[in-house]
Amino acid sequence: MSGTDETPKVVFVGLASCFGCQINITNVEKHLMDVLGQVDMRYWQLTSSDPMPDSFDVAVIEGAVTTEEAKRTVRALREGADAVITIGACAATSGIPGMSTEDHAADLAAVYGEQVPDAAGAGAIAPCAVKDVIEVDFEVPCCPIDPYDFVEVLQHALYGSNIYRRSSTLCGECKNNERGCFYGRETLCLGLVTRSGCGARCPNLGRPCNGCAGLSPDANVPQARRVAERAGVGAEALGRALRMFNQRPCADEEA
Amino acid sequence: MPDAQTVHVAGLADSAQVQAGNALMMANPYRPWPARITSITRLTATEKLFEFRLVDERIREAFHHEPGQFVEVSIFGVGEAPISISGSPTKSGFIELCVRRAGEFTQRLHEMQCGDIVGIRGPYGRPFPYEDMKGHDILLVAGGLGIAPLRSLINNIHDERSEFGNVTIIYGSRNPSEVMFRDQFEMWRHRKDFNLILTVDEPDDTWDGEVGLVTAPFAGLEVDAGNTYGAVCGPPVMYRFVVEEMRKKGISYDHIYMSFERHMKCGMGKCGHCQIGHQYCCIDGPVFNYWEAKNIQGSM
Amino acid sequence: MLYRVMDASELPRLIDAFMEKYEVVAPVKSGRSFAFEPVSSFDEIVLDYPTTLTSLKKYILPPRETLFEFNVEDADVTDYTLRIRPRVLFGAHACDINALNNLDLVFEDARYPDPYYEAHRAATMVVGINCSPAGSCFCHLLDADEVRSGYDLFLQDLGGRYLVSIGSVEAANILEAACDLREATDEDRREFRRLTRERQEAFSNDIPDIQEIPMLMDAFHKDAFWAELGERCLSCTACSAVCPTCYCFDIADVLDPDGKTGRRERILDACTSPQFALVTGGHNFRETARDRVRHRMYHKLNGFNSKHGRYLCVGCGRCVRACKADISPIEVLRFFERKGAEDA
Repeated sequence: MSGTDETPKVVFVGLASCFGCQINITNVEKHLMDVLGQVDMRYWQLTSSDPMPDSFDVAVIEGAVTTEEAKRTVRALREGADAVITIGACAATSGIPGMSTEDHAADLAAVYGEQVPDAAGAGAIAPCAVKDVIEVDFEVPCCPIDPYDFVEVLQHALYGSNIYRRSSTLCGECKNNERGCFYGRETLCLGLVTRSGCGARCPNLGRPCNGCAGLSPDANVPQARRVAERAGVGAEALGRALRMFNQRPCADEEA
Repeated sequence: MPDAQTVHVAGLADSAQVQAGNALMMANPYRPWPARITSITRLTATEKLFEFRLVDERIREAFHHEPGQFVEVSIFGVGEAPISISGSPTKSGFIELCVRRAGEFTQRLHEMQCGDIVGIRGPYGRPFPYEDMKGHDILLVAGGLGIAPLRSLINNIHDERSEFGNVTIIYGSRNPSEVMFRDQFEMWRHRKDFNLILTVDEPDDTWDGEVGLVTAPFAGLEVDAGNTYGAVCGPPVMYRFVVEEMRKKGISYDHIYMSFERHMKCGMGKCGHCQIGHQYCCIDGPVFNYWEAKNIQGSM
Repeated sequence: MLYRVMDASELPRLIDAFMEKYEVVAPVKSGRSFAFEPVSSFDEIVLDYPTTLTSLKKYILPPRETLFEFNVEDADVTDYTLRIRPRVLFGAHACDINALNNLDLVFEDARYPDPYYEAHRAATMVVGINCSPAGSCFCHLLDADEVRSGYDLFLQDLGGRYLVSIGSVEAANILEAACDLREATDEDRREFRRLTRERQEAFSNDIPDIQEIPMLMDAFHKDAFWAELGERCLSCTACSAVCPTCYCFDIADVLDPDGKTGRRERILDACTSPQFALVTGGHNFRETARDRVRHRMYHKLNGFNSKHGRYLCVGCGRCVRACKADISPIEVLRFFERKGAEDA
């Protein structure tokens, strides 16, 4: 942090999201006071209606950017914070709100008609990830986040760490769980291209990966399409499935 | 199924009774030992020289290094990093490390003060063949942070200067502000027993040394090839060019030594991160001669 | 080596005897495949399993292991007592025992013996069993189809009876107390030889038998073949996860929730992971998937040889099935076969 002895000041901000990631943090009741003991919690929309302070060290953001107002908010957070942490898929990839990015105007019209009410968000824009607007220092992935991942990332921001985030995809972690492969059962699974780190939790519970940790920067999508094709799942199905959490341009199904 | 029996591994336990530092260190070679920062010298805008003293007397007595070796430094909670030793073995009881602020670990180390404690384990790695080098001329070439491991060799030679023939040191930096140990080298420039050539890529008004790459001074260099050991350390791109210059001067493949940089995570030939071809940089190196390096896939 | 013969009906008694003092881990049915898991009765064990999804490595070199605990403020280690459950790994195939022997070379018979590995290995008994090759098995091409050491017992099924090689006094004591044993007869030995020949002939002929693999790994180090493999690689590290001899690891500090104490962990890593050869400052010594795939194969088929005189790969075939991009040592052998045909 800034090199002072003061307890780091933290603010939590929620944008377009279900707030499930913030709720999930409150779920680690056993350790919550230990975690909060390391910081000076200045603002948490979810738990208090106190106004946002002027000065802070760490900004934690949940949710996608879907309005001009939200854009201004994240820019102000970047300005004020030494470290910006995003939590959850909505903030990282635009997540579920991002499903309407491509045909945003049409989607808005379909819901609201010609006049979009201000209550639906003043200055609505096509949903985008926080990192599309500002530089993000740390990302806690997945939908929802694992609260222990959040604790680890917060501590990383507070104290530094030489742990780096791997870009290998999910299958290795899945094998460690002794799981057979969905592709052998003609079932689509996005683990082939999704960034590892979650421990392949869904496949371990018998559900294929839906890609909520985001596409790995080293994902080999063309090869994944070949795998899907060969397994009888179809490359188009892979592309469609990727759209749920990976609206960002890198999720190029035509590649 | 039986009850969950467990075995306690005695070999791992610390023991106040064990007197031999070596035995303590080998009982669990992953265990870092507390070391206190005794001095910090700012070398450049991004590099500092740290001096450490191991707190436990048994470990301090058992700790001996040779030029070219490295240690694993721990800041608990942040992690561990391999750092080459910059001090001469002749300065016993203290461990000198030259550290560039380049990542989160080194950033934290740079924020530490005298009296603060880190963990240290080691030393690790195959050193320069210091004893074999005695009685020969020495040609040392360092680029940038490559001076850090070579300084251990340089200072060791300095302290036993009469054991060596002619000693030439070529040290290249990007610009004058990045020259490390400048005070020490400024003093040496007037000494007859060291041929010290400092060179920079981008000089400023104050610079009165050479300008250009570290290979440039080779043109005017007279080398007694059969009686010379070369040693090189610098950024990855530098090696090929410097060793070829040494070859042109006629120095044998097995008298040209280089120290490689990789991320040695365990330091003990296991974790694999520092592998180059079939060799582990941490135990087979980091110092290799040119012949060995030529036989390692992907070394240069 | 001491050999005895026991009746197949005695086997449950041996397992029961082991269970009195050890956790018994054995091959069981798991989904559509097989896995090594702790068992509570003989009936769960599948003796004639083809292979398992992952190897026995997890019991000796766990995917995550705490090396020690520390206190941040005191900057010192607070505890490093390892608790280990005594185990019998029952039903290991020859390739997997050879794999453990290879790991021994790195973690035990090395300049820095690894106390954690040694503790696991010392508390673990290994009971091998004969097998018949599956389609992806190529242990015979890498001198790993037979195993001469590294086990406590090895069972060879002779039909209704087992020829037992006894490798340790600990196992001999349990075996002799639990089972009726007799000396091997000439007929037992004849049957053993017949079955061994039968097994040797059962290996797939589709996988080429290549001589001088280490030399070829060097000779074709710059071949375009590696770029083809690199283009296919998904960077998923499934190969290393299932491999019985991939031992590379990372070391990381994990803080407790209060940030005051924590532990240093050893986490199994993979050289096919994109950041594996990254150094501080940002240089990556194996930047591309081509470099990473080639390095992994090089270590398996050449690098380890030049240090230890044997292949690191034991031909178990797990990566052949785990890799969704068809990258495996078999592909490398086929590549060498093609190159040989071109030259001829």
